[in-house]
Amino acid sequence: MLLNLFFMFLKIGFLGFGGGYAMLSLIYSESLSLGLTQNQFADMNVLDFLIPGPIAINSATYVGYILSYQTYGYMLMAILGATIATLTVTIPSFIYAPVFLKYETNINKNKYLNEILACVKGAAVGLIIAVSFNIFIEAIFHISSLKDLTNFKVNYAYLGLAMIAFLLHEKFKINPILLTIGAFIIGYILYYL
Amino acid sequence: MNKHKHINFTLFKVYFLTSLFTFSGGLAMLKVIKQSLVDKHELLSEEDFYNYAGLSQSFPGVIAVTNACFVGKKVGGNSGMFIAAFAAILPAFIFMLIATILYYLLPQEGPIYSALNAVRAVSSGFILSAGIQMAKLNLTKFVYIMLAVGSFILIVLGFLNSLQLILIAIIIAIFITWMNRGNRHAS
Repeated sequence: MLLNLFFMFLKIGFLGFGGGYAMLSLIYSESLSLGLTQNQFADMNVLDFLIPGPIAINSATYVGYILSYQTYGYMLMAILGATIATLTVTIPSFIYAPVFLKYETNINKNKYLNEILACVKGAAVGLIIAVSFNIFIEAIFHISSLKDLTNFKVNYAYLGLAMIAFLLHEKFKINPILLTIGAFIIGYILYYL
Repeated sequence: MNKHKHINFTLFKVYFLTSLFTFSGGLAMLKVIKQSLVDKHELLSEEDFYNYAGLSQSFPGVIAVTNACFVGKKVGGNSGMFIAAFAAILPAFIFMLIATILYYLLPQEGPIYSALNAVRAVSSGFILSAGIQMAKLNLTKFVYIMLAVGSFILIVLGFLNSLQLILIAIIIAIFITWMNRGNRHAS
């Protein structure tokens, strides 16, 4: 698993054009294929909003910990996995910076690189909204993808909650941390109703 | 020698504090880092900083860490690079590790499960917000809109995964640039 984590985050690092949210969909598909559940990924997103720092670092730490814990069952191995994942995702940075400072080439004017960045960011918009969509249908319709559409049931309480929170966040710029804490409390109370 | 130590200490302090106090995303960090390194400590010129800021966004990888590597290497050599990058990673890593350990101890049943599910439903909205923001910034041409819509449909229907779609986007980008190369010569 440690080796899997290493290669997974190496891939994510080298293909992660355009920062944290663009990387998120890569982390989603890669970590699910290594055994992370969709709910665990959704919880990672929640923690990303609550914990300071770059999203890619936060996500690597989380995925490294959870997947190693599930494989080895020891907290020490899990912390090692988290460390490996976090350091691996930063490897590209340590390679590009010295190389380009050494040659001082003006890469900003490189047409190929700029077009790649623009196209990947374009695709990333679709990918990130797809991640949001998957989390949404899992939380509200209790299905993990469109394939098991037949046995879906709607949870109207969560649906309403999600829409209210989205509006408060988009229109009134309410802090995600406050909304998350609010949702947690309401969800806790809903269980007893 | 003493000056060198001082520079490394400043780099560590600036990147550690910005990583500690910025939530959600490396782009927000760059502004804070610029204020302390260029305006306050005058370690490098504004032009250099913006140059490195642009570079760190052009390369794949974690933007904040790439920026730390560029600035650290320029200002403090190899030791500066590792210290700045380490400082940018450390707070995020430690806090996320503690949060993950605590999260893993939560029982996934009863009222906690209900609460977590509510939080998940709500968080999907935050990601959608981030996606909308990215769309406003980046979907400036028809091709990019098509890439966004196409990627969404293909992934939701389960035909392709993100890795394949990003590789396809890279290939399309190379193709577009290659096509336009001829145009530029003609004009």
